Amino acid sequence: MKTLVKWRLIVISLSAVLLLNGCGFKDIDKRLFVVSIGIDKARNSTKKYLVSLKFAIPGGKNKANDFFIVTEKADSMAEAVRAIKTKVDKEIDFSHAKVFVFSEEMVKLTDNAGVYYWLARRRDIQEIAWVAIGTPTAMDVLKVKPKSEQLPSNALFLSLGKDGSETPYIISEFYFDMKKRLIERGLDPFLPIIEAKKDLLEVNTVGLFNKSKLILNLSQEETKILNHIMNRENKSALWVKTGNIKFIVNTTKIKTKYKIITLKGKQPFIKVSVKVNGTIEETTAKITNEKLSRYEKAAEKRLKKQIKGVLVKIQKANVDPIGFGLRYRSRHFNNNDWEEWQRIYPHLVFKVDTKVKISDTGLIE
Amino acid sequence: MPSNKVQSIKEELKEKIMQSEDAVFKELHTKEKYIEALYIKTISDETVIQDYVVKPFFEIATAETFLAYLQSHPKVKPFESEEQTLEELIRGVAVLFYQDFIFIFDSKVDRNNSVLDTTVETTIQGPQSGLSESLPTNLGLIRHRYPETTLNVESTTIGEISKTKVMILHDEKLVDQDVLRRVKEFLDEVDIQMFQTGEQLLDLIKKSNRALFPVMLVTERPDRVAVNLAAGKVVLLVSGSSFAVILPTVMKDFMASMEDIYQTYWVSIFLQVLRYVGFVTSLILPGLYVAVTSYNPELFRFQLALSIAGSRSAVPYPSFVEVVIMLFMMELLTEASIRLPKAIGPTATTVGGLILGQAATEAGLVSNIMIIIVSAVAISNFVVPINAFSFSVRIVKYIILALATCFGLVGVVLGFFMFLAYMVKLDSFGQPFLTLVQTKSTKE
Repeated sequence: MKTLVKWRLIVISLSAVLLLNGCGFKDIDKRLFVVSIGIDKARNSTKKYLVSLKFAIPGGKNKANDFFIVTEKADSMAEAVRAIKTKVDKEIDFSHAKVFVFSEEMVKLTDNAGVYYWLARRRDIQEIAWVAIGTPTAMDVLKVKPKSEQLPSNALFLSLGKDGSETPYIISEFYFDMKKRLIERGLDPFLPIIEAKKDLLEVNTVGLFNKSKLILNLSQEETKILNHIMNRENKSALWVKTGNIKFIVNTTKIKTKYKIITLKGKQPFIKVSVKVNGTIEETTAKITNEKLSRYEKAAEKRLKKQIKGVLVKIQKANVDPIGFGLRYRSRHFNNNDWEEWQRIYPHLVFKVDTKVKISDTGLIE
Repeated sequence: MPSNKVQSIKEELKEKIMQSEDAVFKELHTKEKYIEALYIKTISDETVIQDYVVKPFFEIATAETFLAYLQSHPKVKPFESEEQTLEELIRGVAVLFYQDFIFIFDSKVDRNNSVLDTTVETTIQGPQSGLSESLPTNLGLIRHRYPETTLNVESTTIGEISKTKVMILHDEKLVDQDVLRRVKEFLDEVDIQMFQTGEQLLDLIKKSNRALFPVMLVTERPDRVAVNLAAGKVVLLVSGSSFAVILPTVMKDFMASMEDIYQTYWVSIFLQVLRYVGFVTSLILPGLYVAVTSYNPELFRFQLALSIAGSRSAVPYPSFVEVVIMLFMMELLTEASIRLPKAIGPTATTVGGLILGQAATEAGLVSNIMIIIVSAVAISNFVVPINAFSFSVRIVKYIILALATCFGLVGVVLGFFMFLAYMVKLDSFGQPFLTLVQTKSTKE
């Protein structure tokens, strides 16, 4: 009798548990996957933002790369998403939203914190998503359908991630890193700029932020140099002109170190040392192995000038994407280290030391 | 023995046995002597009687010499008691009445003494022959492989009606006395009418503690028996069965194939790892599918998520119904292919596996991915070398599936932990089920 009662209890509690399954259970085919989110500044409207969600349409082999974009004007992300929900038939799932594109106009606004943190607050958005600036608008970037693309937005994933193309002109940025840079003193955010062409997406410049506001756009070459300074990509190329010979060094390794030196009574400076290994890829005149050191010298000189130029440009704009300020704060334990750094940074001098090693001419002599 | 008593025993035995048609009572006469033999011809070997009793009877002239011959013959035992004689009679001995003596002559026929090929636990390399269905032959096979004087053989009977002879083998030097005691206690407690084969013990022990997993290993391989004897285990041989029972057995034994010791080191390590991976796969894959497709699709790569969503779009039922339908089909298929005769077995699997699977996806009843999952589960389940264990695993995956349906990924983890906790609790005759290294008895 006692065991019977026990069994009844178990059966009842188990069947009660079975009734609970409604809460999180939603089949994969009843979800609409958002692959990328675009946020523009709303035009001709009282609302602030124009939010576009790019949904992937699941299909077999024949219907690959099908997507549709739903847009909504709203003052906040939450509002926009709620409104978009009423326009689609299935549950919106952000778990595969891997790219957030902001338009240039939008990032020039000052009070975007609500949008930036909405991305972190949603539990289904993964913080390993990439963030970028889209031109002319974020919506245009979402609309592009490159010919080689197999799945919606896959071209963006591949060019921003390391899976696909590897180039020094793309400095990709993860959302979690951006979130950190938004509040960290002495480390400023930057976002790659994606330009929508007819059938292509071009990513080769970067925009630097002063916290939440876009301040400075770097050119393509400057982006490459910034990439070298931040040790992001080893595969690169150096264009060097010496006399009337122009040659290009294909790099296999680039390593940058820097040290902030503040001596009492002297002007503080940052010692940046860059080591580059590479081979010659193209040249306008013959280069022999014996004379390689001459060309190394020329390359060093050129690189030094370029790096210094970029560093000064960044300093002039008073932004800090490399994190000099954070490095300074981590080595100085004063209460007013941040104020001190803000005082020092505009007057810093950069002493750049470059070392280029060209291992061979690329040809057998 | 006085002749009137012999006469009365003879009459009584005849009365008890002569109703059956195959009972034979024979009288042989020469000038000097006279002998009577009583036996059941269907279970006695008449050529043995002919060779060792009838021929000498006519060749040996004097009555005294023949008596001496009988008394010294190794197959002949003197009479002990009437009940015991009757018992032996129905097992195939012949009872001889000569002068005032009663002899019991061992003429048992051993019909199933041919050694069978292994069919259940097949290996590529190593011995290919299994045990036979005859107890003495099996014991001989094992003694042949395990020539140790310390090999101890005891026997007992199990079964109220069948009175099946069971031999308990162990190495006196290596066996854990506590385990041996537990095994004997267990055998004494067995309450069954017909005991045919060692596999029945699996069920009997289950009834006593409702174990989900087998705690003894049934094998048809004499080499496995020998190896296990050397590891200090107890082996049961059952008369009439070509399977031996090895106790105690833990998870490690169920996941081991005899092939492991016939392969080189890295190959056998690889095979072991493969088996454990297959084991875990068949356990959690159905549950994982439900949990990931219906609760946490972010776990997939984006490409896979889209293709699963695409292939599922025609499926009308939720993922767990889909899984249950396909698993049920697969279980039916497995079950059917065991029962079917060998000649049409492959047809059934082809029809079931290929055509049904193809048609089910075409009809939109299940998704393509589901077919892959179900096949992966079925195949990985067969990787477990001991059948009794792989059957148990087949059940556990449904528990994990149910938990995954209710709680998603947490359910899968919960189910796996419950499974682990259960195995930790389980023991086989005092040996913890998850023992990795079996310690030899400390008492030397």
